[in-house]
Amino acid sequence: MKVLLIIPAYNEQENIKNTVKKIEEFSNELDYIVINDGSTDNTEKILQKNHIHHIKLVNNLGIGGAVQTGYKYAYENGYDIAIQFDGDGQHDVNYIPQICEPLINGQADMCIGTRYLDKSESKFQSTFMRRLGANIISFFIKICTGKKITDPTSGFRAVNKTVIEEFAKQYPTEYPEPESTVSLLVNGYKVQEVPVSMNERTGGVSSIRLFKTIDYMAKVVLAIIIDSISFRKRRKK
Amino acid sequence: MQLSLKIALICILIIYLFCILKAVKRKNMRIGYLIFWSITGIILIIALLVPNLVDTISSKLGFEMTINMIFSVAIFIILYLIFHLTILISKEENKNTLLVQEISMLKKRVEELENKEEK
Repeated sequence: MKVLLIIPAYNEQENIKNTVKKIEEFSNELDYIVINDGSTDNTEKILQKNHIHHIKLVNNLGIGGAVQTGYKYAYENGYDIAIQFDGDGQHDVNYIPQICEPLINGQADMCIGTRYLDKSESKFQSTFMRRLGANIISFFIKICTGKKITDPTSGFRAVNKTVIEEFAKQYPTEYPEPESTVSLLVNGYKVQEVPVSMNERTGGVSSIRLFKTIDYMAKVVLAIIIDSISFRKRRKK
Repeated sequence: MQLSLKIALICILIIYLFCILKAVKRKNMRIGYLIFWSITGIILIIALLVPNLVDTISSKLGFEMTINMIFSVAIFIILYLIFHLTILISKEENKNTLLVQEISMLKKRVEELENKEEK
């Protein structure tokens, strides 16, 4: 079973080396690909100096476009499972077997690593505001698709071969995490969550800034609603 | 309207039409847009040349004042144009994303193959 870790990195010069080192220490059977999303700092130099397997995007595309490049790479190279894994040290490699399990058993097409499930003893459950935001988004996903996703903005997720193909062709680039979840759900794929713990960011700046949160929330909710509407039209045909 | 003002406006419009032609000639504008922009210019010239044309149309259509009709028509045209451009930009963004992805992946493949050959 070929497994690929997709690691999007934008200006991650402090973290990227450690992240990759931890992955290599964890298992040498795991393939990974770092997608350098047109970083403006020394990320590219670090990647080259340490011979880290990577693709350098010639222009900045944002997280959605970067991750999709990873899925395209996974598709072209025939991987069975692709795992999205942040380059900033937030995600823990030790949860990779857990997150892959539902896919291997055929219980799910996508498995999301969730911070907020009760069982997890997460050191980092993030701020009140962010939890509130996640709750609002998950409420709207529940309304539109009927499925409860506790942590829709989590970037730690694994998908199987069919979904890799789907994502390689079509991936939402504006609000990728919640939107891709919704589009999978409305197209009848099975999505599962497993509890994981995440570390606090060890460096760099989160892509979701506090002041932009409300704007982000409104647009995500709109995107979710629109995604589920366009599905209903398609189904009637 | 005073005759001198009329002549000045017509001159400006002719220069405007000339600029459109030049832009198309220099390949700065696609021929599809030439039609849209030159039609607006030609309509404005006709409206200036034919006496009472605009006034008659607006009163026939039921506008109380000619200026109201001119403003509403102009706003609708501009709204349509901006809407059209927004769609165009979004489409171009999608194409751009695809290109960046494909080029970057190709570059990686080329580098890998070059490294293999060196070995």
